[in-house]
Amino acid sequence: MNRSAPRSIDQYLKQLREELAGEDPALIQDATYDAEEYLRAEIAAHPDKSEADVLEIIASTYGAPDEVAGAYRDTEVKVKAAMNAPARRIPASGAGKFFGIFLDPRAYTSLFFMILSLATGILYFTFAVTGLSLSAGLAVLIVGVPFFLLFIAVTRVISLAEGRLIEAMTGVRMPRRPLHPGSTQPFWSRVAHMLKDRRTWSTLAYLVMMLPLGIVYFVVAVVGLAVSMAFIFAPLAAVADRAGWWGQPGQMHLSPAWMESLWALPLLLLAGVLLLTALMHLARGVGRVHAAYAKALLVDRSHG
Amino acid sequence: MDDSNAKKFQKELNGGLVGLVLLAVLDRSEEDLYGYEIAKRLASANDGTSIFKEGTIYPVLRALSAGDLLTSRIVPSYSGPPRRYYRITEQGRAVLAEWTAIWRSTASFVDRFLEQGHSP
Repeated sequence: MNRSAPRSIDQYLKQLREELAGEDPALIQDATYDAEEYLRAEIAAHPDKSEADVLEIIASTYGAPDEVAGAYRDTEVKVKAAMNAPARRIPASGAGKFFGIFLDPRAYTSLFFMILSLATGILYFTFAVTGLSLSAGLAVLIVGVPFFLLFIAVTRVISLAEGRLIEAMTGVRMPRRPLHPGSTQPFWSRVAHMLKDRRTWSTLAYLVMMLPLGIVYFVVAVVGLAVSMAFIFAPLAAVADRAGWWGQPGQMHLSPAWMESLWALPLLLLAGVLLLTALMHLARGVGRVHAAYAKALLVDRSHG
Repeated sequence: MDDSNAKKFQKELNGGLVGLVLLAVLDRSEEDLYGYEIAKRLASANDGTSIFKEGTIYPVLRALSAGDLLTSRIVPSYSGPPRRYYRITEQGRAVLAEWTAIWRSTASFVDRFLEQGHSP
């Protein structure tokens, strides 16, 4: 607790990360980003003072690392409480628990995410593969290096956007600010740092992997929806058909034929409802697992 | 001990007030502002020392923006990481008016008792 006051921006950020140790990595990334913006602006505003002199008064203006860490922790709790839709009371009985999924907004958004992920997957895959192969091809030319750097920079923006999408769809906290590598080092060492950064490569891996994952998610979601909807509506249509609501009765045929028997129709309906409910559970599960996976690959954990 | 008591009281008071002050600053500002600029405006309005620790306004800005009371955009900066500029939304203005009314009535309520204490 009784640490020496930070004498440089790097020391301050390091202490802030230590104070926030154990918090969500996305929160830590936001907090250090904000602190760095303030500290650099403060130093730029006092060109006559040294970095150490400016940091001396930081504790009384910006706040010491432990105070600032406390503010982020408190606000995070409040924001979580305010932003999350109030948790529905899930009925305690087994059946209530099973069908309670239809009251969970995250299940719907996760299902939507699964369908959307085919589109984003194609986009990410194309972007990553094109960028990588062009970078490799252009590496011998003078434009190779700037092209590669631009490619990596755009990768980071996409990574942030994907994080925002995942947070909106699954409710799992992801960074709200881009990762800033720190501008104290000279250009080439920043480039080297970018290349050595595990996150650069894990982000690329994530983008490439989104295509196969997106295909699987899309197929599961669409097939699940189509089959369960067919099961639910086929009996209704069959009844309407027999009653002759659509003109001549007997125009519609289910295959295999036993499905048209009177005892099978309610069972078909029941199977459709069960299948749809199971699909909603699956979607929410996929949402959670995918968010954890995205967090592992897209969010920086190497600091702190 | 007196000092830490005072600090604790101030901190508890600030809890909701930071949000109100930030909305008011952004409402009165002609242009969009970023965190550091807002912090300096607060400090200069109060003889150079803000009653809030400036570090505490950033998470609140983020929270207000997550609640759609502010919008923000990112602008690259020469001195450090890209800056996030904030602007108040229509919803933010409505909330500000509401919070202002609450603050006025709270302040006058509290004042009524504090002033009673002085006069017999």
